[in-house]
Amino acid sequence: MIDTKTSPLNRAAEAVARSTPSRLVKRVTGLSDRMVAWLFIGPTMVLLLAINIFPLFWAIGLSFTNYRANRPNEPVESVGLRNYERILTDPDIWIAMQTTANFVFWTILLQTVIGFGLAYLIDRKFRGHAFWTTIILVPMMLSPAVVGNFWRFLYEPQIGLFAYAVSFVSGIPPTEIEMLSNVSLAPWSIIIVDTWMWSPYVMLICLAGLRSIPDYIYEAAEVDRASPIRQFLSITLPMALPFIMLAILFRGIENFKMFDMVNLLTGGGPGSTTEVASITLKREAFEKWRTGYSSAFAIILFVAVFGLANIYVKALNRVKQR
Amino acid sequence: MKAWPKILRRGPMEWTAIALIGLGFLMLFQPFVLELYSYSFITMLIGTVMFIVVSKFPE
Amino acid sequence: MSLTTAHSVVVPSTTSKRIAAVLIVAYALISIVPLLWIFATSFKTPPDSIAYPPKILFQPSTEGYCNLFTTRTRQTAEYIASLPPATSFCDEVTRKRNMVIAGPSNFLPRFVNSLIIAFGSTFCAVFLGTLAAYGFSRFKVPLADDLLFFILSTRMMPPIAVAIPIYLMYRELGLSDSALGMILLYTAVNVSLAVWLLKGFIDEIPREYEEAAMIDGYTRLQAFWKVVLPQATTGIAATAIFCLIFAWNEYAFAALLTSGTAQTAPPFIPTIIGEGGQDWPAVAAGTTIFLVPILVFTILLRKQLLRGITFGAVRK
Repeated sequence: MIDTKTSPLNRAAEAVARSTPSRLVKRVTGLSDRMVAWLFIGPTMVLLLAINIFPLFWAIGLSFTNYRANRPNEPVESVGLRNYERILTDPDIWIAMQTTANFVFWTILLQTVIGFGLAYLIDRKFRGHAFWTTIILVPMMLSPAVVGNFWRFLYEPQIGLFAYAVSFVSGIPPTEIEMLSNVSLAPWSIIIVDTWMWSPYVMLICLAGLRSIPDYIYEAAEVDRASPIRQFLSITLPMALPFIMLAILFRGIENFKMFDMVNLLTGGGPGSTTEVASITLKREAFEKWRTGYSSAFAIILFVAVFGLANIYVKALNRVKQR
Repeated sequence: MKAWPKILRRGPMEWTAIALIGLGFLMLFQPFVLELYSYSFITMLIGTVMFIVVSKFPE
Repeated sequence: MSLTTAHSVVVPSTTSKRIAAVLIVAYALISIVPLLWIFATSFKTPPDSIAYPPKILFQPSTEGYCNLFTTRTRQTAEYIASLPPATSFCDEVTRKRNMVIAGPSNFLPRFVNSLIIAFGSTFCAVFLGTLAAYGFSRFKVPLADDLLFFILSTRMMPPIAVAIPIYLMYRELGLSDSALGMILLYTAVNVSLAVWLLKGFIDEIPREYEEAAMIDGYTRLQAFWKVVLPQATTGIAATAIFCLIFAWNEYAFAALLTSGTAQTAPPFIPTIIGEGGQDWPAVAAGTTIFLVPILVFTILLRKQLLRGITFGAVRK
């Protein structure tokens, strides 16, 4: 057989190919569009399959067993649906869900009201509004863990700035404002920090919603002599609503899995007053090492988030069309 | 598509699925009845699966 | 429509503008106080930091930064007096508290870990994301919507739930507490954001540019490299910064999956302790150093923020 690579004819052909314009090279190196598409999307899919999907199926498998990660040599037994049964009938986990719901409800309510309010005010377009908007946006870009950790210092009963400011305004002695160790105040300590961080997020999305309302609608309303309150209720609010929903859904998903701040501010305490679902899951999985049981819990949270994410993407596409 | 029955159109089915997911969430979060909490997961699961299947239906 | 109407909603009245300005400025100032307090605390001495009432005016000191970068041991006054004169400012400050510097603290290695993991994962996520986004933007990919949703949904998963199987998988593969493992994990989380954001940016580049180039004899790959990429530079840069911020700020995975060699700064900073509890000036100093890059990036990104937080769906 003739070695085609070293044959003089082939070498000459290569020299010609190198000097030919790119038009001809296309035939040699050009991949079909279909190939290019899979070449481009493939690596991302492989990575996500390896880091997200494979572990997910592993977790589903584990959720039907009594596996414990700290005792890898113990025999693993299949327990069927018992893990799910236990989680879904356990009053303690039910209470953790209610704690989570409490956080989700209050943080979303406060953030929506404050965020929309701020957006409405910024939309007045006073001089310097761009600068102040940037200042307001800063907290949301910071690490919830690192900043949340520092809030522990601000919340210190006597020496903390927060306690001092509150006692300055209300007259309550600053030693009595124990945000983190008082059972009824501890949830609020987290709600306050979360609201401080994420109201700007809602504001930014609402602002986009307000700016998407065309001026001529207001002009028409003005011609009809609609009162400002009427205009707000029948134009501003309904037209900004898809954007508000988008912000609420996203904050809902994020706060449903809230972990960083709670773990650092209260760690679930005092007692279990701030023990949200993520904290319970962390305790079961990484402190008690009940891996099978906690996998089942993780799958339950997965499905909840996945359901919400479906609705979120639907809302995203709806807003995108605007 | 003519053969597709009206009731199985995407719009209403999708809203049913969203309602199921929402209902599942309320059941998961409500503080009143333990039984409702117990069945919240299966409700959400059905809603989610339905949403994914229904999104393949024609408009 | 008359231009002189003072009550037009389209052009807000001067009074309403003034009220809005006052409220917004007040909110901005209040919301920035905790950050200013972090900065101020980092320059306080430990006694100043826990003074009552909280000190607004104080003698600035870099003791917090000294304590952040060093570990110290308590010594007797005689021992300290017998030492040669202090060579640096930090030596001097430490000796005043009857202590000597024993060595460097773990902060610098943790900070370097944060840098390596954040930049490494950002590079990988943007590289993969750009390719995939171009694929989704320009080609008819079967089930594209489902694949895109699948990509996005991976980002929404609760980190603790993801961490359980990842922990087991990394233990099997020997990736526990390794920078490589964290880079892989953060890449997987960030690639979803990168694909969604970059798809939006690439959708905005007219197809005609590449088509013209391909008629001129470029292959698809050449057109991508020489025509699309230069046009997408702004979008790629913005996406990279968003990925960088996520990886930089991430806490849950880092806290659960790293403990020593690969630990990043966020789980480390809360563990900085001095004598008798948390050393707040040192924590504040660490927090300040940690936050400054993000502040710079936020200001650079302010026009793209909205896109970033809505996965590219809302553009101004």
